[in-house]
Amino acid sequence: MASRIVTLLVNGTPQEVIVRPGTTLVSVLRDQLELTGTKRGCADGSCGACSVVVDGKAVRSCLIPAETVDEAEVTTVEGITPVGGLGPLQEALVEGFATQCGFCNSGMLMVATALIAENPDPSDADIMRAISGNVCRCTGYHPIIRAIRDAAAKMRGAQQIAAE
Amino acid sequence: MLDRVDVPSDLNAALETLAGCRAGAILSGGTLLMPEINTRATGLTTLVSLKKLDLAGISVSGTRVTIGATTTLDAFGRDERLALLKPVVESIASPPVRNMASVAGNLFAAQPYGDLAVALLALDAEVEIAGPKGKRQAPVSEIVKKGVAADEIVTALTFDLPDGGSWFYAKTMRRNTNSAAIVCVAARVQVEGGVVKSASIALGGAGPRPLRVPSVEAALVGKPLDAESVTAAAAKFEADCEPFTDAYASAWYRTRVIPVHIRRALVGA
Repeated sequence: MASRIVTLLVNGTPQEVIVRPGTTLVSVLRDQLELTGTKRGCADGSCGACSVVVDGKAVRSCLIPAETVDEAEVTTVEGITPVGGLGPLQEALVEGFATQCGFCNSGMLMVATALIAENPDPSDADIMRAISGNVCRCTGYHPIIRAIRDAAAKMRGAQQIAAE
Repeated sequence: MLDRVDVPSDLNAALETLAGCRAGAILSGGTLLMPEINTRATGLTTLVSLKKLDLAGISVSGTRVTIGATTTLDAFGRDERLALLKPVVESIASPPVRNMASVAGNLFAAQPYGDLAVALLALDAEVEIAGPKGKRQAPVSEIVKKGVAADEIVTALTFDLPDGGSWFYAKTMRRNTNSAAIVCVAARVQVEGGVVKSASIALGGAGPRPLRVPSVEAALVGKPLDAESVTAAAAKFEADCEPFTDAYASAWYRTRVIPVHIRRALVGA
């Protein structure tokens, strides 16, 4: 069967890719679009390293054949990273020593991005639930939970200043 | 190796593709099927995605609930009309997986997964299925046991929403979130005049599929819903269960704790 053209809006940029049947979204992002911030981990949905935001929801890009998300809006860790700097969530991870080997970070950042977009003032329990499907073997999770909480507070502050 | 992934927008087209292909599978949320495809030689050649079939959505008429097959667990958990069943959904996997996983897909999850199937079994849900010969309905008990034919597609689930006082759900896990069941108990128990009038109790983690425990149910009817009678009834679980060993618990352990968790689910202690 022939390959197919899939159109995606990735981090605000329209992209057209040719995919062989069943090519996963993580493969499209990493191998075709060279967005290697999204990590390939377990390939079965249990580690969370490949998490991206598709149409506003955090999902596992390793479990999505690209054909099924034709015309979707995809945000990856590159999409929340300002040119030449770091976004508030990323800064909080660095400052809070919530990044060690770094492999889980992009997945954590994307589920946290989806969480804060929906709930700008998440409790620790909310954060714990949101990242419960993302494995980190370095930090013991607490620095990550604190960092997400700190970043959410900073983002609320920034929003308030912008509103004033 | 896959040579075709179809995303049809018409149910008949989906059924035709499924019937006409060599080794096809239905792709809904993908959280069960894609791990297989990513990590094993499945022999599948064709995937038929249900994504554009317009099978998602929840309608409630009186107490009768109809849920489209591809409704995500996330959408199920957010529907205020189904708030009573929210703890079931929230006990399953993690938010990103619930954003993908479909309600009907949960019926086909291997034990000790499939907690929603356990709840639907306790609720005597009906499954609506489309196939080459037309539509049919089957009780969820039959579907969890036999599945559906390779050329059929589950389109919806229906059940009566229980009232708050008669619904019980408890899932015991090794962690508080995102873990499979050691034992999962879902039950609808109606009490009238101080005694149990009817009981439907379903278990996960107790056998090769979600199962009912008719021996326990029968022993409970006519008795008060208290610790003493629930303990006595729960002791009869072995006739209906086939506890197994996996990474979460041993068969021995499950055998020891199944009656404990039935009691805790129904009377809290």
